[in-house]
Amino acid sequence: MILIVAEHRDGGFTPVTQELVSLGLRMGQDLGVPVVAAVLGHEVGELARTLASWQVDRVIQIDDPAFSEGSPEPLTAAVETVIKNESPAFVIGGHTSDSMEVIPRVASRMKRPLIGGCLGYERHGDRVLFTRPVFNAKLHMRIVPRGEPPCFVTVAPGTFAGDALETGPGVEPESVAVDVSAVTVRRRRIGTGEAVRGEVALDAASVIVAVGRGIQKAENLSVVRELAEALGAPLGASRPVVDAGWLPRDRQIGSSGQTVAPRLYIAVGISGAIQHLVGMRGAQCIVAINKDGEAPVFKVAHYGIAADLFEVVPELTRLIRELRAGSAAAECFGAGRVSLALRASTGRVRGGTALCGELRG
Amino acid sequence: MLKIVVCMKPVPDVSTRLVIAEDKKWIRDQDLTFGPGEADEYALETALRLAEDRGGEVIVVSLGDDRAGRVLRTGLAKGAARAIHLADPLLDGGDEYVTARVLGRAIAKDGGADLVLTGVQSDDLGTGVTGIMLAELLGWGHASVVIGVDPEGDRGTIRVRRELEAGRQEILDLELPAVLTIQYGINEPRYASLKGIMAAKKKEIRVWTAGDLGFGASEVGRAGALYEVNDLLLPEQRSEVRMIAGSPAEAARTLVELLRREARAI
Repeated sequence: MILIVAEHRDGGFTPVTQELVSLGLRMGQDLGVPVVAAVLGHEVGELARTLASWQVDRVIQIDDPAFSEGSPEPLTAAVETVIKNESPAFVIGGHTSDSMEVIPRVASRMKRPLIGGCLGYERHGDRVLFTRPVFNAKLHMRIVPRGEPPCFVTVAPGTFAGDALETGPGVEPESVAVDVSAVTVRRRRIGTGEAVRGEVALDAASVIVAVGRGIQKAENLSVVRELAEALGAPLGASRPVVDAGWLPRDRQIGSSGQTVAPRLYIAVGISGAIQHLVGMRGAQCIVAINKDGEAPVFKVAHYGIAADLFEVVPELTRLIRELRAGSAAAECFGAGRVSLALRASTGRVRGGTALCGELRG
Repeated sequence: MLKIVVCMKPVPDVSTRLVIAEDKKWIRDQDLTFGPGEADEYALETALRLAEDRGGEVIVVSLGDDRAGRVLRTGLAKGAARAIHLADPLLDGGDEYVTARVLGRAIAKDGGADLVLTGVQSDDLGTGVTGIMLAELLGWGHASVVIGVDPEGDRGTIRVRRELEAGRQEILDLELPAVLTIQYGINEPRYASLKGIMAAKKKEIRVWTAGDLGFGASEVGRAGALYEVNDLLLPEQRSEVRMIAGSPAEAARTLVELLRREARAI
């Protein structure tokens, strides 16, 4: 069987859980084994019924207030108990800040393989090969688990389509009691917080220029800033640019920053780690400019230029400026061009706002 | 007096073009420049600041050949008190689990620690689990994806801030000893000073083999790994991506035309 460890927070499933169920159901069908989903938490009856509605074969519900205190130890003990009772071949969980506090502990406690950030699997006879990213997703690695089951498989949010799950009347969840009162707890949550929300509303922009590590140093940012200004777009960034302090934290796009879905997204010097891709791949049109033609960003791009950004971007900026100047000049000649000109002018206003935001940041 | 161990992994410069080795099990890394993992540098800086703020010493540990030795010397030059070099071909090719096991044994042999810091993930495998497994194997608590460490604290505890998805964070109190995995960008890592580089030459580097840690050949490295690497491959490109060729000027012109006429995005 396949065991899914559902992830939830604040009374609802996190988005990755549907992806886990989607992968689990597919593997269950391919391997001809039942799929069991477990939900651990406090007062999770409603969640258990939702899990069942996604057509898994069984749902295990373990209710204990100890699970909601932010300590991995009781969860680790309970997940281990479920695995020992159920003997799954594979255990599927989220490759997320929450689930990864628990799953690697269970895997190493049981001395079983863990495939972190799984991208997919292939079945070759009785062997299952798992694919995962290495070297910042520039390469993929195919892995064969060794030894006795289970094998642990974790999935990063955004890897599999989770929105296509069929729903219907589900099985009755099974309540299981696991006594975790004797488990030593070595950490406690004393508070929660939110990252500082920026003044730049990236999620409202229709065009975004985003810059990555390829820009090499802060002094080079003017190259992309000029392109953003020409397009009337705010400047976003991938994590390394923010970590280096070249742009403020509120510019970060990706799983730990903002999620955006603009009409046009131009990724400049961004290689495209999954953590960045999940934050931008909802864009209607994605352009990637990167000197490494094998960079993973080209996997989600619609248009790609594999060349030195310092050569391409200034040229692009010049052409966009020409185009904008041309369309503004054409404004008085006919109604047919008005909408484009208007777009250009609102764009400039937005560009101005972005610049102010940057100075304040 | 806190004893803080920082685990540092030698990794190739991933911004360079990577070529898959003939046997497809790893990359051709003989000619690549190696250095400490980027996240490990943040971990080292966190440790050095904690030792300065709360009083203590930092010990750097690394697993591998001369590349690990060089990583350790940069750690010593930045202010670590001494180093542990786990140098043994038997240890090569291990997965996250065996690496955690080897590190755990080395830390125990060194008399334990109050804190062990690792980078949130390595720049090669990038699974982000070795530190968490290390905590489990040592029987310690841990916090991963740490973005803030309270410089003060009672003896025996540490307060940290960790990053969750979608801009959420949580603040935790941990009992020591504990393992922290440090997120990118937590601080600004220092550069080694000339004085530091000179001082590093006199600092102690303990060199241990698998045997010194009580491991047999089948328990560690590739032989002890819980999974087998089948092969490395290039990711498939999205079939829809249109790669635009030509000189930079030509490519830019083509792109603008496509964005206007085809995608209607500008």
